[in-house]
Amino acid sequence: MGEELTESETSVSKTRVNDILSEVAVAEKSDKTAQNTYIIRPNFSQKFRPVNVKEMIHTVLGEKLTGVVYSADETTGLTKTIADTIKSKLKDMGHERYKFIVQVVIGEQRGEGVKMGCRCFWDSDTDNYAQDIFMNESLFCVAAAYGVFKY
Amino acid sequence: MDDFQSGEETAFVVDEVTNIIKEAVEGAIGGNGYQHNKVNQWTSNVVEQCLNQLTKLGKPFKYIVTCVIMQKNGAGLHTASSCFWDNTTDGNCTVRWENKTMFCIVSVFGLAI
Repeated sequence: MGEELTESETSVSKTRVNDILSEVAVAEKSDKTAQNTYIIRPNFSQKFRPVNVKEMIHTVLGEKLTGVVYSADETTGLTKTIADTIKSKLKDMGHERYKFIVQVVIGEQRGEGVKMGCRCFWDSDTDNYAQDIFMNESLFCVAAAYGVFKY
Repeated sequence: MDDFQSGEETAFVVDEVTNIIKEAVEGAIGGNGYQHNKVNQWTSNVVEQCLNQLTKLGKPFKYIVTCVIMQKNGAGLHTASSCFWDNTTDGNCTVRWENKTMFCIVSVFGLAI
């Protein structure tokens, strides 16, 4: 038992030495070029949070679509502007090192059945998505935003 | 761009993905007509099948697969996507498929790790 204890103690002190060494190394090189951060998880404050993003999508859809009547010619452009607006707002939300995908679907309300599904193959620790739906008498709109962390 | 990521075997090949999507849709829906109670299952089958095949490619990618199935009754449907990513490594692919009674639009986004 006694031996094990001392062993673990020495390993701790070794890692401390390594820490100090790497700090020194970083301090030496920081002014030359950007160094690898070895960060593989987003900062807590910069994490992609579905609640905040959903709120943002909700306001964008409300602004762009309230009172809008479906027209085949104009809706094509409208889907693009909505997708771009959501994307640029996402970029302003301070999600450092995230890649974004925004998908917007607008359809005419004629009582038809529509089903939208999505499945993702990613790191559920860091990556997430948010979506919101807007409906009025003549159209429906689904907007989904995906945030994928870049390691 | 690092050399080890620019090869064909680690890139997002649109043609390959297009084929995977088409096969998945054919397999899941095939010649069926629109049935309200089946749509749930069809969408998940299509998406699941696509993802299955994509992961079997064994490429260093994260994938997002979306599928929209809409009954045909003359109503319009528009979809757009806007992406903020690395153009050199990431890619997407959208396939529009239809039969007499419905449309099926599948989009796959691949993000290099």
